Amino acid sequence: MNDTLDVVLRLIAVLVVFLVLPLVVGQTEHKVMAHMQGRLGPMYAGGFHGWAQLVADGVKFAQKEDVVPADADRRVFQLAPAVALLPYLLVLIAIPVGPHGFVGQALDAGLFFVLAVMGVGVLGSLMAGWASANKFSLLGALRTAAQLMAYELPMLLAAASVAMAAGTLSLPGIVESYHWWWTLWQLVGGLVFFCAGLAELQRPPFDMPVADSEIIFGAYTEYTGLRFALFLLAEYAGIVVLCGLTTVLFLGGWHGPWAGSVGWLWTLLKTAVLAFVVIWLRVSYPRLREDQLQKLAWTVLIPLSLAQIALTGVVKVVIS
Amino acid sequence: MGIPGSGLAKGLAVTLKTMTKRSVTAQYPDAQPELPPRSRGVIALFEENCTVCMLCARECPDWCIYIDSHKETVPPAAPGGRERSRNVLDRFAIDFSLCMYCGICIEVCPFDALFWSPEFEYAETDILDLTHERDKLREWMWTVPAPPALDPAAEEPKEIAAARKSAEKAAAARAAQEQDDKQDLKQDLKQDNKQDQKQDQDEGREQRPGEGDA
Amino acid sequence: MNPGTVLAAAAHHPGFLSPTGVEITFVLVGLATLGAALLTVTTKQLVHAALWLVVALGGLAVEYLLLTAEFIAWVQVLIYVGSVVVLLLFGLMLTKAPIGRSPDADSGNRWVAVGVAGAAAVTLVWVVVDAFRSTWINLHGAVQGTSHATGTSLFRHWVLPFEALSVLLLAALVGAIVLSRRTDGGKETE
Repeated sequence: MNDTLDVVLRLIAVLVVFLVLPLVVGQTEHKVMAHMQGRLGPMYAGGFHGWAQLVADGVKFAQKEDVVPADADRRVFQLAPAVALLPYLLVLIAIPVGPHGFVGQALDAGLFFVLAVMGVGVLGSLMAGWASANKFSLLGALRTAAQLMAYELPMLLAAASVAMAAGTLSLPGIVESYHWWWTLWQLVGGLVFFCAGLAELQRPPFDMPVADSEIIFGAYTEYTGLRFALFLLAEYAGIVVLCGLTTVLFLGGWHGPWAGSVGWLWTLLKTAVLAFVVIWLRVSYPRLREDQLQKLAWTVLIPLSLAQIALTGVVKVVIS
Repeated sequence: MGIPGSGLAKGLAVTLKTMTKRSVTAQYPDAQPELPPRSRGVIALFEENCTVCMLCARECPDWCIYIDSHKETVPPAAPGGRERSRNVLDRFAIDFSLCMYCGICIEVCPFDALFWSPEFEYAETDILDLTHERDKLREWMWTVPAPPALDPAAEEPKEIAAARKSAEKAAAARAAQEQDDKQDLKQDLKQDNKQDQKQDQDEGREQRPGEGDA
Repeated sequence: MNPGTVLAAAAHHPGFLSPTGVEITFVLVGLATLGAALLTVTTKQLVHAALWLVVALGGLAVEYLLLTAEFIAWVQVLIYVGSVVVLLLFGLMLTKAPIGRSPDADSGNRWVAVGVAGAAAVTLVWVVVDAFRSTWINLHGAVQGTSHATGTSLFRHWVLPFEALSVLLLAALVGAIVLSRRTDGGKETE
């Protein structure tokens, strides 16, 4: 009985985090992006500096009509947002926040679980793009698929490098065996991982699948109302997951002064800084072209990640 | 070119620097914008000056000015004279859903009855309500700013030049009168009369386009 | 008899009667997987077939999980659901798969295909049943499918097949490069 309660409490906590943190990131993006462009951003919703803007957006989305195009494949079209969103909820369960089992559910092959499930989320975009019966959606889905295939490999290789260094696939295990100099040792891998993650989330500057000036909004062109909001939520949940994962793998998770008592705060802080970087990159850089994107993946990121693996192997053999 | 990637770093630096600066956004409904002089907000009517000459309505490129009037007779100025007729303005309306703010009506008005007002908050929820009548147009007249000051080296406006000229002449005449007190009064008076008559004629010619159409 | 002794008895004498919750789940997921697989080959809509394949492969991953082979399960999801099906969908979209039924989705060789599939299934079932006739996985003891255990057995007992597979993949890689380099006569390709 106590175990069941424990599990239920953990799952509720994960759900709350899943519902709150993406909104926080979204609101931060509103404000940070605005100030980086010399604007103020939302100022009215909620009174104080527009803190409730995303709540207002959510209410607006809920009120909108849920349109399904006449020629669309109804079932697949309606199922796609859930397929896009749920994987990130599952991933969140496995990300450790603090020491001593401060995690939704510790998994033996947690790293593989996280990467595998994150890859499933892209299926949602593919389903949405195909089922919309719209050529722009289809183009968006094609770009999504091409992007996923190009960036999954460097991401896996970079993650494998960390797993090699730690000698375990379990995420809490990786954080536990972390030392401060790992960040330098795995620096290249970390950069590759973060870049590839951004590309997988279709965040600028890797947002060709939703390039609004070329293909309207890619796979999500035909979506309205709540289903569209779910896709947006998936994007921000993806940011949270990616930043949390990068923190855990490359920045040492809860390590920091007084890690025993406020370790979880360190994890959240590092995640928040990374989320800020994600927003910062979005504001600073223009979108890559489709061929530049593929070239970056195959000619830069994959060789870099392979070099990182070689380096990891050499250092590992030397120090053991 | 420098170090590879320095361009990327520069981009990040620019956005970060902008973030730390105060944003330039003006919170409009809370803070009114500072409009430049001669802002073209809306067209105001100084209806006391309007003589219903219809020039504005005829010159308007998209026919958005509505003018109705009727004629009234005014009793003769002097007993035994002819009655004068006068136009009385009944309706003056501008349809701001058609108006393209070209300002031709203001340029063309010979009596300074139309002005640019910087007022811009007159949005309506119904397009039909954008046809504003003379009372609204007259109200906007209060928002018309004083004309901007002239450039330091600019030519004097004609009205002021004419007034100053006559004032100077009167002063000169008075001075001459005081000086010539000892001299023959009759001769002096004759000359003064001649000069005054000539000046009156000049001024009348200048003012004729202003009053002649009434 | 109190529940404790029943459990102990079941653990000592496993049988098909009085199945445990895990076993029931295993059978149900297996049926769902089988249904999804059948739908994959019988549906007339191409993209639906690919999506049913996702369900079938995901069902297989769940079966691995139930057998405590966690590592294999996640690799299954990562490689098959995350990459192979995405590649498949990419191909289908590139050929502009229509929404709705494709009249030419049926092959004339369907009966031959059924025969081959049936024979393969019979062989596999035969081999598996014959090999693991009365082997039971103890779900309550040490987990047997951890990444550590898998790695140990893979690189200690099965190194030769592993390396042979690597050579096969290398051959495929070289073949792909050769195929894409053949159009040298015209424009140069990336």
